[in-house]
Amino acid sequence: MTNWLPKDFWTRNETLVAGVIIAFCVLATLSDPRFFTITTVSDLLRASIVIGILAVGAMLVLVSGGIDVSFTAIAVFAMYASTVFFLAVWPDAPWPLIFVVSILIGSLLGAINGFFIAFLGLPTLIVTLGTLSIFRGFLLTFIGSQRISALPPSMRDFSRGVLARGTTEAGNFYSIPWAALALVFVIVLTWFILKKTMLGRSIYAIGGSVESARRIGINVTWTQFFVYVYVGALAGLAGIIHGSVGRMADPFSLVGLELSVIAAVVLGGARLIGGYGTLTGTLLGVALIVIVQNSLIVVGIPTTWQSVTIGILILLGTGVPAYRAKRAAARAG
Amino acid sequence: MKTKTKLLAGAALAATAFVGTQAVADGHSKSIATVVKIAGIQWFNRMEEGVNKFAEETGMNAFQVGPAQADPQQQVALIEDMIAQGVDALAVVPMSPEALEPVLGRAMEAGIAVITHEAAAQQNTAYDLEAFVNEDFGANLMEQLATCMGGEGEYAVFVGSLTSQTHNQWVDGAIAHQEANYPNMTLVGDKNETFDDAEQAYTKAQEVLRAFPNIKGMQGSASTDVAGIGRAIEERGMEDDTCVFGTSLPSIAGQYLETGAVDGIGFWDPAVAGQAMNKLAVMVMNGEEVTDGMDLGLPGYESVSLDGKVIYGQAWVNVNKDNMGDYPF
Amino acid sequence: MSSERDTAFVDLRAITKRYAGVTALDSVDFTVQPGEAVCLAGENGSGKSTLIKIISGVEPATEGTIRIAGQERRTLNPRISAAAGVMVIFQDFSLFPNLSVAENIAFATQLSTHERFYKAHATKEIARKALERIGVEIDLDTRVESLPVAQKQLVAICRALASQAQLIIMDEPTTALTEKEVRRLQGIIRMLKEEGVAVIFVSHKLAEVLEVSEKVVVLRNGKKVAEGPASEFDTKSLTYHMTGRDVPEVPPSDIMPGAETLLQVRGLSKAGAFEDIDFDLKTGEVLGITGLLGSGRTSVAKALFGLVSPDAGSISIDGKTIPTGDPQAASEARIGYVPEDRLTEGLFLNQSIVRNVAVGRLDAHANGGWLNMSALVDEAAEWLKRLKVKAPDIEAPVQSLSGGNQQRVALARWLSRAPRVLILNGPSVGVDVGSKADIHDIVRDLASKGIGVIVISDDLPELLATCHRILVMRDGRIIDALDGKTVSEDDLAHRLAS
Repeated sequence: MTNWLPKDFWTRNETLVAGVIIAFCVLATLSDPRFFTITTVSDLLRASIVIGILAVGAMLVLVSGGIDVSFTAIAVFAMYASTVFFLAVWPDAPWPLIFVVSILIGSLLGAINGFFIAFLGLPTLIVTLGTLSIFRGFLLTFIGSQRISALPPSMRDFSRGVLARGTTEAGNFYSIPWAALALVFVIVLTWFILKKTMLGRSIYAIGGSVESARRIGINVTWTQFFVYVYVGALAGLAGIIHGSVGRMADPFSLVGLELSVIAAVVLGGARLIGGYGTLTGTLLGVALIVIVQNSLIVVGIPTTWQSVTIGILILLGTGVPAYRAKRAAARAG
Repeated sequence: MKTKTKLLAGAALAATAFVGTQAVADGHSKSIATVVKIAGIQWFNRMEEGVNKFAEETGMNAFQVGPAQADPQQQVALIEDMIAQGVDALAVVPMSPEALEPVLGRAMEAGIAVITHEAAAQQNTAYDLEAFVNEDFGANLMEQLATCMGGEGEYAVFVGSLTSQTHNQWVDGAIAHQEANYPNMTLVGDKNETFDDAEQAYTKAQEVLRAFPNIKGMQGSASTDVAGIGRAIEERGMEDDTCVFGTSLPSIAGQYLETGAVDGIGFWDPAVAGQAMNKLAVMVMNGEEVTDGMDLGLPGYESVSLDGKVIYGQAWVNVNKDNMGDYPF
Repeated sequence: MSSERDTAFVDLRAITKRYAGVTALDSVDFTVQPGEAVCLAGENGSGKSTLIKIISGVEPATEGTIRIAGQERRTLNPRISAAAGVMVIFQDFSLFPNLSVAENIAFATQLSTHERFYKAHATKEIARKALERIGVEIDLDTRVESLPVAQKQLVAICRALASQAQLIIMDEPTTALTEKEVRRLQGIIRMLKEEGVAVIFVSHKLAEVLEVSEKVVVLRNGKKVAEGPASEFDTKSLTYHMTGRDVPEVPPSDIMPGAETLLQVRGLSKAGAFEDIDFDLKTGEVLGITGLLGSGRTSVAKALFGLVSPDAGSISIDGKTIPTGDPQAASEARIGYVPEDRLTEGLFLNQSIVRNVAVGRLDAHANGGWLNMSALVDEAAEWLKRLKVKAPDIEAPVQSLSGGNQQRVALARWLSRAPRVLILNGPSVGVDVGSKADIHDIVRDLASKGIGVIVISDDLPELLATCHRILVMRDGRIIDALDGKTVSEDDLAHRLAS
């Protein structure tokens, strides 16, 4: 009937999440017409950049059949270590160089995860729970635990860089920072890897069945290793963006965010058992989490209810498809 | 290990019982441990400066320690260590007053002089030192905010956490002051919770700006609040249209004070508080009593008021663009 | 002979494989011609999986020569073997449930050509061609997880074909298929043979694949014990070669005259499950209870052991009524129950063999809260020996045993408690041919020692081989009581179904 829609359109998580987002926006606009403005959109977009990049990484790990909870620790470690390094060595370094160093530090920490998981075959949750603690502890103990506001000036320049900024005739302010490009870049790169390379398809295959992947000759070890290094690199990028845009290198920030990020990814349809997850879904999940975290005041829900609301959304977003799948399986059986 | 701790505690008890009050008069150096919420952050680094200054001036063995993470249990463990080491006095900035009651109780039983700071409800303490009456400090910030806003318009308030007693008292004091003196100002929204995180404060500030486009003023509580609010204000280019005041430090809010996104901050100097705590500890060891209106000989503590065990100073410092250079922390 | 070897696609000569002193394969010769279908038969542990692992390069041979596609292979690994055209379809098919049919078929091919980039249209082309070869239509974009088992198998076959398979090895290909699907598989295999693709079936359910096979090779204890044209084999002769003996199912000996009534069941009823069940069991008697699935036979068995609470009726042993619906009371009255699903109901799979037996005797060896471990273990080991449980080590987990040996462990647990009545639900489900006959021996032996045995089963030859009397159930009622000695299999089948 509707040939232009994918066959499973109505049963996909993406559809459900998009539906919830639309419903929420309608509700918010009804309760306060000012909600539906360019200001809201640009505010939400800005809030999505760091979470979005982290979520793309988390999605990749879930697709490969693992779970990573250490990426926030990697992000804050890479950000803080590179900031401290450049403040000591070359405070006037250009920001792209600082970014590259942060990404490299992130990759290196990701490689540590990858080594334990891919080469030693240890369970991913155990390894990343361990490294979460180690990375964070190492950072606070040996690198520093002070909030640094006096960042290298080029990082401040980066935070002041905007793609578009202004006020509409109706008086609505908007601002899209350079950092938004980083998110776009990460999405395009990851889309290309996942959809257009055998490496990406191998990641899906491993998530579907590790044993089958080995049997048909996929190099499981190196593919897994790549996943964790890539996630580390994304975390390094997200971290340095977080620090630059927030204009503060805060070693206590980000850690604690990992569960919200994983929640966003799971809402978007990625499954904890591996093999399933899309960029569209992930971004929708991020959008939903960010909207809920940023708009409850408008709808008149007290801030204290925020975590309850997110919890309910996760239960709905993951529970409804799981329940439907179970019913479908029961009918088939 | 347990027995050893008991022995040490016992020894400490015996020692204090014996030497008692004349120790200081004899000129013997006493060891005073200042235990803070968390080691290494600017605030407590500044406090350590005060503790060190006190040690220099008096020749006491005064030093500061703090756990690596802001965790009440780690602080409890650290205090246990200090008791085991046989310190003579403890000056504690509790992470959670309730969690510390038992261990501070044991310390007092062992004859250790206990002083606390920022914990007016603490039971097991000789004196709790507050730099000021929290409501008064909040009112002080509000007075500046109201002046800046010309006594009219909408304003919003931020707290680090809704369960933080101090933050709530500041904000409540501010609101009470506004209601009593500035009827043309209106509070909009609930208390916004920022989880002591600049990023959250930024997000919340944006949300407030969207929901209440006519807002004129914002008051923060956590030291990171005004940084987050300032960022949102700066981004929207609203530096001149809004007034932002709050508790913070020049090192955190400085860049926003410069641009005018934040108009003023208030704080108390932790160095002075550290000195005051140590001074109180010595007084307790010497058996001296603190009385209402007493002069502790430190700025802001010239005429303290006493309410039960709680000592209040008027030790707040207001900082703006012009005098921020005087407080490099 | 030599010309045959020249044309062979796979030619193994004198292959021996030893694992840490155990000889898994002993000088086995094995050839497969292009386009030939070979049945590789053998019981668990006969060496058939080892042989497959050697051909597919998963394990190296200790001795012997391997030629594949005309080339001698001194070093063989899965990649080389696959490149030569050897494809194994495992029982689980090794597919990716989350990927599309097209990708599942094409993935291995694209890996072998060292593609770096994934092209959707090329993938579909590969898959379409493979499906066309076997004349099957499956939507290329469907995720494999949503396909029925039979179609998954076809996808696996297509994947092998796409990878230029010259030999497809299928492990237990028919176990999960319906009769119609088996027939379709047979058709596809005939087609493949015409194209010159060879097939090896690894199975112990052989009747269905015998039809399309040219050759049968039987392994036993690592040796090749029989080889010949498929037409010369039937189920019976295969069983003989696989077990190394005729498995004569001797009928049970007579019940001792004057045997006393041991168990008396009167008017046992439970709404919706069974109704008015009346029967007696004498000492030394084996009583069969049969019926189709859903006839109530399992519920009755469970009710006898107290696992199902009946609404009405009584059970008594030696004239003494025991409370119903109470397994503890049943156990105290020395009734034993070996459930059908050993894996989930009967055994602690990851615990050691000896513990699994000993758990039934904890109370007997308990002394004021302390266990006499050595006595407990000795007794358990004794029972394992008596039941001829084949295990390398009694401390090994039960799940490392074959189905037949697992069943013996379950039996050993109950026998160590000296039961008077033993209820065996499906005693030979999932057990291979040789072990099955052994279990039947055990049952007859138990009866001759005066234990009353109740066998619940729908395996008619099994009932005829063990039971003195057979009760037939339908819709929760006993509709027939037959003499095990006089009734024929056909007659029984007829009564069951009618």
